[in-house]
Amino acid sequence: MKTWLKGVSIVLLGYTIVGGLLMDVPRLNIVNETVRALYFHVPMWFGMVALFLVSTIYSIQYLRKPSFEKDTRAVEYANTGLLLGLLGIFTGMIWANYTWGSPWHGDPKQNGAAISLLVYLAYFVLRGSVENEDQRARLSAVYNIFAFAAMIPLIFIIPRMTSSMHPGSGGNPGFNMYDLDSKMRMVFYPAVIGWILLGVWIATLRIRIRIINEKLLNLENE
Amino acid sequence: MNKFIRLIFQFILFSLPISAIAQPVEMADTMRSEGKIYVVVAILLVIFVGLIGYLILLDRKITQIEKKLPEKKN
Amino acid sequence: MFKTLLIKELTLELRRKSVISGLLLYLFSTAFICYLTFSLRQNQITPLVWSALFWITILFTVINTVAKSFIGEKKGRDIYYYSIAAPELIIISKIIYNSFLTLLLSFTGFVLFILLLKNPIADFTLFALTLALGAIGFASSLTLLSGIAAKANNSHILMAVLSFPIVISVLMITVKVTKNCIDGLDRSVSTNDLLTLLAINCLVTAASYLLFPYIWRS
Repeated sequence: MKTWLKGVSIVLLGYTIVGGLLMDVPRLNIVNETVRALYFHVPMWFGMVALFLVSTIYSIQYLRKPSFEKDTRAVEYANTGLLLGLLGIFTGMIWANYTWGSPWHGDPKQNGAAISLLVYLAYFVLRGSVENEDQRARLSAVYNIFAFAAMIPLIFIIPRMTSSMHPGSGGNPGFNMYDLDSKMRMVFYPAVIGWILLGVWIATLRIRIRIINEKLLNLENE
Repeated sequence: MNKFIRLIFQFILFSLPISAIAQPVEMADTMRSEGKIYVVVAILLVIFVGLIGYLILLDRKITQIEKKLPEKKN
Repeated sequence: MFKTLLIKELTLELRRKSVISGLLLYLFSTAFICYLTFSLRQNQITPLVWSALFWITILFTVINTVAKSFIGEKKGRDIYYYSIAAPELIIISKIIYNSFLTLLLSFTGFVLFILLLKNPIADFTLFALTLALGAIGFASSLTLLSGIAAKANNSHILMAVLSFPIVISVLMITVKVTKNCIDGLDRSVSTNDLLTLLAINCLVTAASYLLFPYIWRS
């Protein structure tokens, strides 16, 4: 990862913290001041989906031309995506407890998010249960792609068809109601980019550690 | 109850511009006017800077190890 | 070639009658347990409870059914298949065959549930259509996974873990449409859901078709 991208991530996230707390937000009932949680909670999901997407792309590349590096990348992006997803679900539970009255409210988006986390937990279980390295990489790549394909309706279609307590559902994609306020977008989009970049950064660190490990193993074997 | 809350929520969101003018919604205005919000911002920034600093150090350490590795080979 | 593969699956199945009768027995036992647990207070089975019990029964039966499609095969046999047939043909024939089987089992399950519990369904045609689409959806998404699970070692547990998050989107839609059927809502309400179900089936089948060669090769 390029150094300047890391800088961009740091600057954007710093701006998110300051701007997210200090800039004006629309005055809404029920959510009141907690509408600011949007700047911190929702980017977790965007980050998760972006990282899973990258992971899937590496899995596709792996199937086309197998190599240790691509497999490692697919795994570590999935791993970091899982981290962001878990953070998203916990922050969501805190927020839901305050605004909807209980941490788990049977909201379709919440369920969809939980299931997509289950998919990647299953992915790691699959990796754990295959001994042979080539086999493990290939099977998990296939599962990764297949699961991502099956997740598309779950995340992008079903929540839009059913009524959800998240704003903007029931036909409207995204969060149109909040879109009314362009001031919020000024902080929200930088936050999304910042978190995605931070996720990529952490993932690249993990990838490098794995590659070093692999090299060391090779050295020992020589 | 669930439906009821949802109805209220949607109603409020749809009538947002009107309701915003009609009745002021309770926000943490006092906290802002007293300037205490800056305390929160400062705390979050310190945590953020600390974490990022840690991440940068980790990054450097990994780079160092990476540089050492090829030497070992020879 | 395609026909021969299908016929081969069928003859193999008929030769191992114990497997299919085992599955039917599994289905029957599950339905019977549902009946027994509620026999004390028959009136407590609200339509929603019925739907939950029904779909759980169908889900687990179907997972067990499809799981054996690769796990049941002998080790050396797939090398033989590999040498004579293209992997795409194999997966498609397996999906079609598994769809037949799951259709059979889910409709049998439905009859059992009507006999043992009760029948809350108001709109039969729509429910039959949902059941059919759901069964095909299960079969097409689970076939590839059973291939993966067969290649990995501790197959049966893995199969359940892998399949649950994948089939859940099919399940969510079918449960929703079942509710519509119970309430006897107008069919136009459910059209969108059925179309989504169909789209998911196509998506999953296409993905299996593309991906299967990679697991087959190993």
